[in-house]
Amino acid sequence: MAAVTLSNVVKRFGVYEIIHGANIDIADGEFVVFVGPSGCGKSTLLRMVAGLEDISGGEIAIGGKVMNDVEAAERGIAMVFQSYALYPHMTVEQNLSFGLRMNGNPKADTERRVKRAAEILCIDELMQRRPKQLSGGQRQRVAIGRAIVREPQVFLFDEPLSNLDAELRVQMRVEISRLHKELGVTMIYVTHDQTEAMTLADRIVVLKAGNVEQIGAPLDLYDDPANRFVAGFIGSPKMNFLAAKVVETGDGAATIELVNHAGARFKKPLQTTPPAVGADVVLGVRPEHFFDAGQGDCDISVKADVAEHLGSVSYVYADAGDTELIIEREASRHRASGDHLVVSIKAGKALLFDTKGARIR
Amino acid sequence: MRYQNATAYRFLAPYLLIFSVFWVWPIISSFLISFQATRTVPWRWAPTFNWGRLIGDPAFFNALKNTLLILVIQVPVMISLAIVMAVLLNSPLLKARGLYRFAFFAPVVVGEVAYSAVFRLMFNLNFGIINKLLNSVGLPSIDWFSNVTPAMALIMIAVTWRWAGYNAIILLAGLQSIPDDVYEAATLDRVSKVKQFFYITLPLLKPIIVFCAVLSIIGTMQLFTEPFLITERGGPGGGTETLGLLLYRQGFRSLNFGYASAVAYTMAGLAIAITLVQLWLTKEPK
Ligand SMILES: Nc1ncnc2c1ncn2[C@@H]1O[C@H](COP(=O)(O)OP(=O)(O)OP(=O)(O)O)[C@@H](O)[C@H]1O
Ligand SMILES: [Mg+2]
Repeated sequence: MAAVTLSNVVKRFGVYEIIHGANIDIADGEFVVFVGPSGCGKSTLLRMVAGLEDISGGEIAIGGKVMNDVEAAERGIAMVFQSYALYPHMTVEQNLSFGLRMNGNPKADTERRVKRAAEILCIDELMQRRPKQLSGGQRQRVAIGRAIVREPQVFLFDEPLSNLDAELRVQMRVEISRLHKELGVTMIYVTHDQTEAMTLADRIVVLKAGNVEQIGAPLDLYDDPANRFVAGFIGSPKMNFLAAKVVETGDGAATIELVNHAGARFKKPLQTTPPAVGADVVLGVRPEHFFDAGQGDCDISVKADVAEHLGSVSYVYADAGDTELIIEREASRHRASGDHLVVSIKAGKALLFDTKGARIR
Repeated sequence: MRYQNATAYRFLAPYLLIFSVFWVWPIISSFLISFQATRTVPWRWAPTFNWGRLIGDPAFFNALKNTLLILVIQVPVMISLAIVMAVLLNSPLLKARGLYRFAFFAPVVVGEVAYSAVFRLMFNLNFGIINKLLNSVGLPSIDWFSNVTPAMALIMIAVTWRWAGYNAIILLAGLQSIPDDVYEAATLDRVSKVKQFFYITLPLLKPIIVFCAVLSIIGTMQLFTEPFLITERGGPGGGTETLGLLLYRQGFRSLNFGYASAVAYTMAGLAIAITLVQLWLTKEPK
């Protein structure tokens, strides 16, 4: 078990800088998820921790020891690949024990570890099969088993569930979570799926184009995102963004008016100096933060386009002039398209961003 | 549907015609000829004439021994060499990969006569570069062409030179189909590069290696060019005569087509037998 520290980590491929100085502290035993859109550098960052990519700048330490010049094999980490990367010509049992056998680990100990991993993952019955003869979920278990057998200080996962169907993904997610509790080992998990990040992580690292946008506990990121990118990325369905203007300031508050809803204005208390009067801002409202007419600080009227009824809740896709809004409603099963709907926004439940995407608190 | 098939067959007809005349018919015909005495006019049906002679013919056993000797030594050496070449070609450290790939493949497209002439020059007793090199490290010159053992070695060297690169290119394709992340996983499993080669690369490459070996065995069974051109018709004194050469000598020098056909069928039979044994030995466990 070990803490992992990334300080000012930079990665360049030739002239292209892919990671621009990442600082991430991961505590011993923590489950950290790197999340971000495709191509943002999640895998690259993970592979640098693993030692599969060189570090162009900065430092990566595992268990307090700087690992920049330590071979991948010696870092005490195990990695689960998106493609599983099982040894195709070996049985499951051989796959699990291969690394230990090659390193002259005592036979009895190897057997014990393989047996334990097989029990944890319920793959006892598959031990004599080859990867070809396994389903996707079973292969994934074997890949995780191979990591467990190593008894590593740190587990790395690179999108381990993205090749599985939705149901299996949920099931494996729970199992990985359980595994983390059982082993108590530091885990770093890469995904582009924010639901996976929210459900698994102790803390989430949100990445965008090689920059760390925000690090925090799932609900902290949800409730208090640092910028518009994080606000939009975390949460499903996405946060709604409405164009707005500052029309009045004073008393540690700014009065905001929605651009496409004449007269829809409310006072938003701010901790920092408010933007100048007339400044364009963006209002972020989560789907579940639209209230019934009159319940909030300002009402807006929208036209419902489509409604998705999921049973417990419904999502109404509504036309709000310039943008489409996603509005969560309870008991709106009968709402049809074309209906006008009046919803209300609460100042306390709306986030304010400047036009560059930075949060105005 | 039937009409469509007929159209298809009409398009195939030219090929099928040529295939029948120049492939199927000779195969059948030579089989029949092997049961005839062909030194008499007209040819006479004599089922045991050629095959009986074959069993007791020292020239046949000499050619068979030479062919198998070349096969047993040259094919494994060449395949091993080809694997090493393929691994080197596949190395990410290698610059100008395309150039090497071409260079390795080039011997296959060089004319046989030209290549043989160059080999004869290189291995010449008095002014060949090979003997010069041997002398320069203090070894005596070897008379490659007048002694059986060096002559056999020369044949094997020449065949290996000509086909190793070809096999390396095929093996390279196999290497490139092994995913990188399997090696990465092995690296994280603390498996050394050497062990990765023996425990991952070789097993995963096995089907391709078997394929190359089968091709090479079939090729070597028919070996003709090198003993014909380089050691001058199986010289010295039949010391490098192969089955291919014996066939040629019997068929086209002595015009004894019956006996040549029997030799041809023996070659084909051996090639099939060896290949089957090979496939059986390297069969994937189910
Ligand atoms: N070997 C390489 N050479 C050059 N550029 C690379 C290399 N590997 C990755 N990149 C670039 O680095 C960036 C980050 O890649 P990376 O694979 O880390 O993304 P990712 O966040 O894992 O995306 P995904 O969710 O699609 O897996 C991409 O723009 C990619 O094109
Ligand atoms: Mg990736």
